[in-house]
Amino acid sequence: MHLRGLSQQQTDLLSTPQFPAPVPNFRFLPRLFRSWLRPLCRRSSRPGSWRLLAVQIPGPMAALASMKVALQVAEVLEAIVSCCVGPEGRQVLCTKPTGEVLLSRDGGRLLEALHLEHPIARMVVACISSHLKKTGDGAKTFIIFLCHLLRGLHAITDKEKDCLISENVQTHGKHWKNCCQWKFISQALLTFQMQTLDRVMDQYLRRHFLSIFSSAKERTVCRNSLELLLEAYFCGRVGRNHHKFISQLMCDYFFKCMSCKSGIAVFELVGDCLRELTVGVTGLPVSDSRIIDGFVLHRDFSVYCPADGDIRTVIVTEAIQPLFSTSGSEFILNSEAQFQTSQFWIMERTKAIMKHLHSQNVKLLLSSVKQPDLVIYYAELNSISVVECLSPEEVSLIQRITGLSPFVLPEASLQCEIANAALVKFCKPLILRSKRYVHIGLISSCTFIPHCIILCGPVQGLIEQCENALLGAFKMFQELFKGIDLNYMTQENNQNDTLSSLICKNSRENNQLPETGNGSVQRPHEDIVEKNKDKLEKMQTYLNICPKLVVSNVKLGTYTPCLAPKLITTDTFQTDETLKGLSPEINKATDDCELLTESNSTANSTTENTRKEMSFENLQVTKIAGKGSMLPVSLQSLDRYTSQNTFPQTMYCFSSIPAGCVLPVGGHFEILLHYYLLKYSQTCQQSEETMVSMIIANALLGIPKILYKSKKGSHSFPQIYMKAIHALQTNQPLVSNQMGLESVAGKHQLLTSVLQCLTKILTIDLVITIKRQPQKTDDQDSEDEL
Amino acid sequence: MSRLEAKKPSLCKKEPLTSERVRATLCVLKGIVTSCYGPSGRLKQLHNGLGGYVCTTSQSSALLSKLSVTHPILKILTTSVQNHVTCFSDCGLFTTILCCNLIEHVQRTGLTPTTIIKLNKHLLSLCTSYLKSEACGCRIPVDFSRTQILLCLVRSILTSKPACMLSGKEIDHIGALILRAFLLTIPENAEDHIILGKSIIVPLKGQRVIESTVLPGILIEISEVQLIRLLPAKKPGPLKVALFRTSLSGDLSDTGEGTVVVSDGVSLENAVLDLLINLGKQLVSDHVDLVLCQKVIHPSLKRFFSTHRVIAIDRIGVTLMEPLSKATGTQPIGALGAISPSSYGSVEDLCSAKFGSKHFFHLVPNESTICSLLLGNRNDTAWDELKLTCQTAVHVLQLTIKEPWVLLGGGCTETHLAAYIRYKIHNEPESILKDGGCTQTELQLIAEAFCSTLESLAGSLEHDGGEILTDMKYGHFWSVQADSPSPVNWPGLLSRCGCGIYNSQEELSWCFLRSTHHPFALETCLPHEAVGSANNLTLDCFTAKLGGLQAAVETANLILDLSYVIEDKN
Repeated sequence: MHLRGLSQQQTDLLSTPQFPAPVPNFRFLPRLFRSWLRPLCRRSSRPGSWRLLAVQIPGPMAALASMKVALQVAEVLEAIVSCCVGPEGRQVLCTKPTGEVLLSRDGGRLLEALHLEHPIARMVVACISSHLKKTGDGAKTFIIFLCHLLRGLHAITDKEKDCLISENVQTHGKHWKNCCQWKFISQALLTFQMQTLDRVMDQYLRRHFLSIFSSAKERTVCRNSLELLLEAYFCGRVGRNHHKFISQLMCDYFFKCMSCKSGIAVFELVGDCLRELTVGVTGLPVSDSRIIDGFVLHRDFSVYCPADGDIRTVIVTEAIQPLFSTSGSEFILNSEAQFQTSQFWIMERTKAIMKHLHSQNVKLLLSSVKQPDLVIYYAELNSISVVECLSPEEVSLIQRITGLSPFVLPEASLQCEIANAALVKFCKPLILRSKRYVHIGLISSCTFIPHCIILCGPVQGLIEQCENALLGAFKMFQELFKGIDLNYMTQENNQNDTLSSLICKNSRENNQLPETGNGSVQRPHEDIVEKNKDKLEKMQTYLNICPKLVVSNVKLGTYTPCLAPKLITTDTFQTDETLKGLSPEINKATDDCELLTESNSTANSTTENTRKEMSFENLQVTKIAGKGSMLPVSLQSLDRYTSQNTFPQTMYCFSSIPAGCVLPVGGHFEILLHYYLLKYSQTCQQSEETMVSMIIANALLGIPKILYKSKKGSHSFPQIYMKAIHALQTNQPLVSNQMGLESVAGKHQLLTSVLQCLTKILTIDLVITIKRQPQKTDDQDSEDEL
Repeated sequence: MSRLEAKKPSLCKKEPLTSERVRATLCVLKGIVTSCYGPSGRLKQLHNGLGGYVCTTSQSSALLSKLSVTHPILKILTTSVQNHVTCFSDCGLFTTILCCNLIEHVQRTGLTPTTIIKLNKHLLSLCTSYLKSEACGCRIPVDFSRTQILLCLVRSILTSKPACMLSGKEIDHIGALILRAFLLTIPENAEDHIILGKSIIVPLKGQRVIESTVLPGILIEISEVQLIRLLPAKKPGPLKVALFRTSLSGDLSDTGEGTVVVSDGVSLENAVLDLLINLGKQLVSDHVDLVLCQKVIHPSLKRFFSTHRVIAIDRIGVTLMEPLSKATGTQPIGALGAISPSSYGSVEDLCSAKFGSKHFFHLVPNESTICSLLLGNRNDTAWDELKLTCQTAVHVLQLTIKEPWVLLGGGCTETHLAAYIRYKIHNEPESILKDGGCTQTELQLIAEAFCSTLESLAGSLEHDGGEILTDMKYGHFWSVQADSPSPVNWPGLLSRCGCGIYNSQEELSWCFLRSTHHPFALETCLPHEAVGSANNLTLDCFTAKLGGLQAAVETANLILDLSYVIEDKN
């Protein structure tokens, strides 16, 4: 089986010589390659066959190639999206295969429309779409930032390239080194994303944040700030002439729909059902768009009977008229009279039901199916308006708003009250551009006050664009109202080199843990204990790192939101946090040893949880440290070790950015973060950390550079940048010449997503093209069985 | 699995408007629509190589729906115009030409799209606020107590569609008919909320235009044989009507998802027929004189009705159901029994009518807002064109009720507006400049482009090589023959301006429209006596033209804003 797998690989590789082989097990490589490279080697003597030559030196080129390729891909994408970024951005016209035309400035939509073929590009697009699912914003900034990061990395490798080429490229050791370099960088990036970013955000950026809430406690949204936020958002989303109007419309809609109590639930509802809550009207100028009270159904009445006063409505999901036979039953007709009687009964029954509805003051019948003529006729006789063929989405939205459940036809008597009826304020036809709609004044039972947006535009594409922008805005709200959790650790004072590298390694291991999941944990814990024992003997400091491993692990799993940063030093011992992770109900860790025993038992009892298992292992380690004696002793011994080795004081911070944090637009966030990252990088001891921080700090500037591209004079980018840096250095407040706000949470999420995407790109050293149909997964299963 | 194909990557083009091909295609479209514009516009013959008959037209709605455009930018433009036409019916060509011209003119300025779009928007709002203001010099209020202005409006629409092939006399006749049909749809006792009725267009293809007419009520076409058979049964005086929505053919409708087992010897046909006859008996006992059915009536039931002197007409069709229900005051019946007496309606009279070779039942309602407009024209394509024109005219009249103004036609509104903007930008540019973001030079350039767009639009009314002049007092549109002598003789050669409101007898000075001239202050007050007495004004629908102006500028802005075109090639 193993051999077969290899041969498959060979054939695939032969078909795409530009991508060299993957190196799962490097030692096998020369033998493997020699066998199928022989013909290629002969051909390679001819001029113009450089691609084949590249195959012969698979090692060092592999990683470089993928990085370079990624940069090329990102640059192409950047060129496309950068023209739609910011207030000066322009539109892109997309045509669908069906012939429809779509206007868009939405980065995600454009990337989708491009149908990219390149594997790395597709990966980037996948990363972006998963980011968009979370935040609904930032696709274009994603690309630009990614591109600048790749450029920064490329510049570094260019410097080192010379020394690489001068040496023997075919040395496998060199390849390893190169691979390791990328791996190191990607891991450093990940560390940065998980540690440094949050730290810088919390310690430095926090003081610059503004809030859209006029009072933080009650979470009342300040209208002015919301207007600024929306204007900035729509600036990048809809046509240049309309963003002010649309953002005003959205703002009005927001305040009309929200009651004082409503929160995120409303955003979710509107986000889910925005298509049903908007009515697109083509052929009218955009400025005719407006908000109307109530709910509009995208169809006309089948029967309309004007009514006022108390209007009750029911939803039906089946035909009201009884049928001869229902599914699975049989109706036997024995005589003609029987048929006539049953016909008569059906008629009378329908009549009775409609009369009953009428007597219960039901004046509107909403049906998800088409009702027979008979029902329509009796509805009209009983002055009940009927709307048929509602879409499932409309029905579910009405149910969500009113809490109404479908009307079930009573089996026997019609005497009972109709429970499933809702009151509506009004129900009338609405004529928009000579098309008729049903306009219902639903009375909400939840915190959402129903309103509809009528979107007008000369073409459908423009209306769709507005609709999507509105949808994105609601997603952004959801994110904004959540707040972000920040957690990081700070290391202070001097550490020697061996220590820091070990910490690095360990934190890396930590980082991989949540991803690798069970794999790393499934090892029998005795092994680890053994291992740790050995290492304890060899190097005592390692022990100190192990508890840290626990802490950062637990930290991933548990988080208690608190506004002020909470610091826990290693002096009070890391088990504090371990305990919190294991038994969240125990919050006060006053007595160390008591709790430690308790947690120990908890850990013992629940071993299936991977994280708990890990911490259990580590508790074992502490026991070993105490040489199996009483726990307090072990604590003491640990403390002793710490003091002896002058172990750095490590602090774990758990903090969060409160919901509703915003910053002014126009690269404000980027310049701030750039400044503080540079400042931070000067304090870093490790070269990797410094490098990564520098790269990220410089890449951040790419976004304001594009935003201010067309500006001249004092509004040009260098001027703005210098002013901002000067203000920061002298501790003056930053002045922004641009109105508008943007969400900090969105930016934070964006940075995180980009860094994750970049690490993904960097960890790939090879792209293999397979030219056959994707196979079903059960094929693989059968192979596993073999 | 083998049918699964990977999606092809899309084609991505940068700065589409700079490409020569796009410019050329835009130019071709502009050429097509410009040559159609106005009363002397040229006709287009459209024929599809794959079938269908040849269509001769000069109307945007027919033209654009039949043209197949492939370039995405043209698609945006044509769909935008078509959407405008479905909204307002009129001013489709106006919108298309304006949009094409605007794109062409502002591109020549070489400014950045951002500036162009921003200024275009400012200029548009300048236009709309002027047109909506009381001081507007090219707008006439509509006096509904007199028909003159409305007649002028309808006649202007008819003359601007040369493909209808109408003579002057025919235009007068059809114009009067359209106005009558429209007036018949207005309810007599109007409260604060007017619900207009409907005028149904009945084709009389092959008849002469002069034979076209308007009748109150509804005409139902019927074969001669049927007419002869049914008419003797008719009773004099008002008739009681029952209108059926459900089929009376005796078919078994939905029996449910389960199975229905019919025992041997049981005839469902007979059972249903019994039901139908029972229904017939009920109708007869309720003294119903006329039974109308949207679908089919069973022959046996028909025979039953005829023996009881009840006139039964079936296969009415769904389109006539609503007007019938309105005209007769009936509720469409959906049941085969237990009919409520309140469902019945009545008609004043039922008579037969014969137009050409066609026979009709004419339902004369008691009091209703439904009327039938019988239109005749020489051939099919001319009739289609006339029908579209009539629909446009009726719609325009409806729009005019909502906004009771009309704009001066014949190019005068365009030249007047251009003169107004020129003057405004020259004298008070601060109103736009205070917004920031552009310089005075940029404003001047774009304003000039905008004005020349409007003027070239007015100029495209002239197809016979004439010269176009404008006066320096009202800013109206005047045309002279191409080989006119010196400007000295102009007062003698010119008779009336484009809209017909001013004549050359006044002390006016003219200049060529295309020449550069100094901005001048406009005389904005309209002569009341001229408005009151004029019978031959050329007028345009206010709502449609304003909408067209907005649609054209918005679409042009949209197209100018495009930086990439991504074509999905799947």
